This record gives sequence, structure tokens and C-alpha cells, in this order.
Amino acid sequence: MKGKISQLITTDANLDEYAVKRIISAYGIPTPKSELVDSGEKGVDLEFPVVVKVLDPKILHKSEVGGVTIGVSDQKQLAEEVTRMKTRFPGSGVLVEEMEKGGLEIIAGLVSDRNFGNVIMLGMGGIYTELYHDVVFRLTPISRTDAADMIDSVKIRVFQKGFRGIRVERDAIIDMLLKLSLISDDIGGDLDMLDLNPLIVNGDRISAVDAKLILKQLP
Amino acid sequence: MLDELFSPASIAIIGASRDENKIGNVILGNLVSSGFSGRIYPVNPSYSEIMGLKCYPSVKDIDGPTSIAVIVLPAHIVPQAVEDCIRSGVRFLIIISGGFAETGPEGKMLSDRILSLIRNSGTRLIGPNTVGLYLPYSNINTTLTSYTRVSFPPPGNIGFISQSGALGLLTMDAISEYGIGISAFINLGNRLDVDETEFLDFFESDSRTGSVAIYMESVADGRSFYERIRRFNNKKPLVILKAGRTKQSAMAASLHTGAMASNDSVFNGMLSQAGSVRAYDETELIDYARVLAYSKRMPGNRIAVLTTAGGVGVISTDYISDPEGIKPLQMARLSENTKDQIRKVIVPYGSAENPIDLTADGSVSDYDRVLEILMRDEDVDAVLVYALPQTPKMDMGVVDVVEKHMKVGKPIVVGVLGYKIAKQLLVEFERRKIPAYPSVHRSIKSLGALYEYSAFRSVRQ
Repeated sequence: MKGKISQLITTDANLDEYAVKRIISAYGIPTPKSELVDSGEKGVDLEFPVVVKVLDPKILHKSEVGGVTIGVSDQKQLAEEVTRMKTRFPGSGVLVEEMEKGGLEIIAGLVSDRNFGNVIMLGMGGIYTELYHDVVFRLTPISRTDAADMIDSVKIRVFQKGFRGIRVERDAIIDMLLKLSLISDDIGGDLDMLDLNPLIVNGDRISAVDAKLILKQLP
Repeated sequence: MLDELFSPASIAIIGASRDENKIGNVILGNLVSSGFSGRIYPVNPSYSEIMGLKCYPSVKDIDGPTSIAVIVLPAHIVPQAVEDCIRSGVRFLIIISGGFAETGPEGKMLSDRILSLIRNSGTRLIGPNTVGLYLPYSNINTTLTSYTRVSFPPPGNIGFISQSGALGLLTMDAISEYGIGISAFINLGNRLDVDETEFLDFFESDSRTGSVAIYMESVADGRSFYERIRRFNNKKPLVILKAGRTKQSAMAASLHTGAMASNDSVFNGMLSQAGSVRAYDETELIDYARVLAYSKRMPGNRIAVLTTAGGVGVISTDYISDPEGIKPLQMARLSENTKDQIRKVIVPYGSAENPIDLTADGSVSDYDRVLEILMRDEDVDAVLVYALPQTPKMDMGVVDVVEKHMKVGKPIVVGVLGYKIAKQLLVEFERRKIPAYPSVHRSIKSLGALYEYSAFRSVRQ
């Protein structure tokens, strides 16, 4: 591990979503505006609606265990949701985030391939990633041309011209991929895998709505 | 490093045999038949002479240096032969024998023993478990299948490396039928010592090799393989057929060569990044290697189609316009000026729109005039010409016409349908190094391969 990330990861323990998002933000990949809350009483300085998420490094797939509530519309509902999360997951933290509206859901990630080392992936995202297999890989580090080729290799390319009201800016995705490639280089051999899924793209805006990072277990 | 392999002074066959059912007999026969001009030394303690050649009890008994030794012995006595060869200063070993790492722990031990002998010696090893090499420019054939069973291609421009010996031999047999030539055929077997990357070094500087085709099931060191093929593709095109795409076929691959196959989507991305065109079967492999060896690069993806049969033009349009193509080709939009000029050449019921249909009235001189016009249209990047022999107006003269325009102008790929006359046309196009294919789909896929590689080179340079 080298660069910025070596200062951001100071523990061998798994990282929770908030910690992973701090890392990717430090590399310039935007994430939704968020607050960590202890209780709902104090309220949040965020634009509603918001999403409420359980924050626990042991819970990797939050929505499967009821750890995500979307579309929370005001302070009162937020207070109820935070209390509910706290009761359901005692000892876990709670993260409140602004919700991204509309846009295209894509996936980007890193994985350590046993034959080729760290590789970067881009694809159509959301819950259907595994169904459509519309993804593309490159070995990191990638060049700007590689990043552009990746976009052209998956259906994301169609949305550059706009499709059903959704349009994405090519450079926003290219810049995100180049930053992710830098993260791959800095984590180096310690990387197991990293998922940004979904990333929501709207014009030139891009935001990593969920982020997971798993490092290799130390021997 | 490998230059000496291609110009050896002498070749020994250790395990040469008089018994026609033995591989040691076939290989010696192939080497004699291939017209190798250097010295041939059969080695076998049981004979004093085979096929009129003096036979030696051991490689150590050969007076004078031996450049290459082909070893055809049972696996358990191969290490001793290897040791003898190293002592005698043999430069290259080609171990045909199987029974090594691919068979289990005992074979693995033999394999390790050979590797430890080779290391720090001046001797290099190809194999074990290889069907051999075929080097047409050097008149060397050390393969284990006889000329009565398969044909071997003439000297040509494609370097062919195959991890499967049988697939390599049968592919050579198939392409020989059309006179398609190669610069070398290499089967690396278990790749104990020499691997693909060293042959790539050779092919990169070999002026007779225009492109390289590789069939592979696995790579040993992914990163260095990637770096190597990327550098190669910046000089010459390299087409790769990688098997083991699904989990099941990956298991079959590991049984076959004792190596594990890697995750295919990563491999696929790696190939694009490195500029290699991917083939999905042995036909595509040689099809793409030919178009890449024979053609100049395409500046863009706009294709003009020239035909004498409407149906062929329509099928071509379907394939070329397919929006699902990753690097899609497109039908060129001909300028009004181009269309006006074409109308003056063709019959009134022909089509001056792309696909251009000369109809059954289209003569060889019509092809010449229309190609002249298309070569001048700036909105056309390449031309797909159909040489269709169903009409009496089509004759071998079309080859001269295509050659004339291809030499000075844009890339041309030729489609030839049928067999009786078509076969002669295909052979003649091939003789002139014009990429010609016996099907609509193969012609268009080959154009796609040329565009894909051209796009890689244009962005990277």
C-alpha cells in the first residue's frame, strides 16, 4: 500500500461503507452528501429525501438484512427510522445520505486476478449486473484511451447520446475510472476487491452511492 | 536467440526407427521429405543405418556439432538423453515424448529433472509433449504426422504458434488446400523452457512474418505476457485464439496441458488493451491473420460492397450494419458524384447505391472501372469485392483488377462463393496475397478484424 490510502487505512479490520467512501472521496470520486448520526433527535443538515443505512463492517450486504431504508422524506420520519435501525442492529452505526435522483446506474470496481494482478471493471450496474454480464475489464493502470475503450465496450456508450431522457457525459466516467485506477495502484498487492455499485451518472455528475472494499487477509 | 533454430547445420533424431508404425520413423521421414539441406543424424543403438542414413548409437557418438536434437523416447529415459545432448553441445532440444507434468506426480518429477539439467546449460528446450516444428523457409519438418495423412503449407507470412499440436497440424492441412502459407509452425507442448514470448521476439524481427496467430489455453505469467503482446502489436498484428472460455472447458484445458485457464472476461479485456484481435475458432484465427498480414490498415469503418448478386449484397449489408457489433462496421454513404459515375458504368437495372450491384451483366472491366471510382471516394475506407463465378463474365482477370487497386488504394477484402471455379479464384487471390474468403460472414468478420487492429494502431501512435 502506498500514497494517500496508506494514511486512510490504519487498521486491519474490515472497513465500513463510510470509511470506504472517505477513501474514494480523497481520490476525487464523488459520493452523496452524508452524516453519521447517533440518534434522529438532532436532525440532519441534508436535503430530503434521504436514505438511512446501517453502518457495520460485518454487514456487507445491508439491504438483504433490512439495513437500508430509502425515500425518508422529513426529519420526523428520519428520527423514527434511526431509532428502528438502532433497535434492529444494536452496536452498529447509522449513516444518512442524500438520495441521487434519476440517472444511469453503472458499476465500477477493482479485483485482484490471480493471473493478471489488479484489474478494473466497468459495466451496467444496479441489481442486474450479474444477469446481463455487460461488463468490461482492463488491467490497471489504465490510460485515458483504455478508459474510453471501456465505455465503448458496454451499453453505457448508448447513453452518451441520450436514451429515454438519461444522458451521461463521457469525461465524467473516464475521470472516475482514472481515479479508480490510481486507487488500484496505491492499494497494490493488498487489494482483494472493491465495488462501486451503483454509481449514478447524470450528465457530468457522478456519485458512488454504495462502496465496498475488501483487502487481502494478512497471512 | 532462436535464430539458430531456423538455420541449423544438423539435426539428430534420437529414437529414430525403421518401424513404420513408430513416431521415430515418421519424423525422420518427414525431415528427409521436407528437403532439409543440412546433415541428418538418426540415433538408435539398434541400427547401423535408417533410410540410407548412418545411424548412431548415441548423440555422443556423432562427430561434429549437432544444432537440433529431436527426442522421441519413452519419458523415463528422456532425462539421460537430455544430459547426453547437453554434454555434446546440442543447441536446441525438441522433446516430442509425452508422459511428463501433464500425466501426474511421476511425470512432474521427470519434468523437474529435465528442467534442472537445462538450467544453466547452453541448451534450450522446446516441449516436452510437442508434435514438433514445421519451418518451411528452412525446409525443416519435425512433426509426428506424415505427409500421407496431412498436407503442409508453403512458405508464407503467418507465424503460427499452437498450444494444441493436433489442432495446429489439422489447421495447416486445411489451409494448404488454398495455398495459404506460413512462416513457421511452432507447437510448444508443455513449455518447460521456451515459451511464446521468445518466439514473438523472433517473429517481430523476422521480415517474412507479417502477422502471428496463436492458439492458447493458458498463460503462465499474465502480466509479462500482456506487456509482451502489447509491444508486439505496436509492431505487427497478433491474433489470439484462447480456449477455455467457460468453466467446463477450463477444466478440460487443465487436463490437457497441465495448466490452469484464467477468467475469460479478464483475458478478453487484456487482449483488447494489448491490441490483439481475438479469434473464436481455428478458421477465424487464420482468416484474421491473413487479412492483417496482407492488408494496409483501414483509416475508418465505412465499407463499400461491390457485387454481381443482389442477395449477397443484402446479406453483407445486414452483417455490416449490425448495431450489436462492438467495433461496428458501417455501410459507406456514397457521394452523389460517385453514384453518378457508377451509373455510367453499370446497366440501368443495376444499383449504384451501396451495396453496388453490377448484376449478372457485370464484367471484369466493369469491376475495374467501379473500383477506380470507389478508390477516389473519400467516404469509403475499404471495399468488399465479391468475385462470384456463376456468370460467364467473371473470370480470373478479376484477380489482376483487384490486385491493381489494392496495391495503390484502400484495403480490399474479397468474398468468393461456390466451389468449382471459386476454388481456383481463392487459390489465385491467395497466391497474390489478397485476402479472399469463401463466405459472406468470414469476409466481413475479417474486415472487422482489420478495422479493430487499425483502430488500435491509429490511437496508440
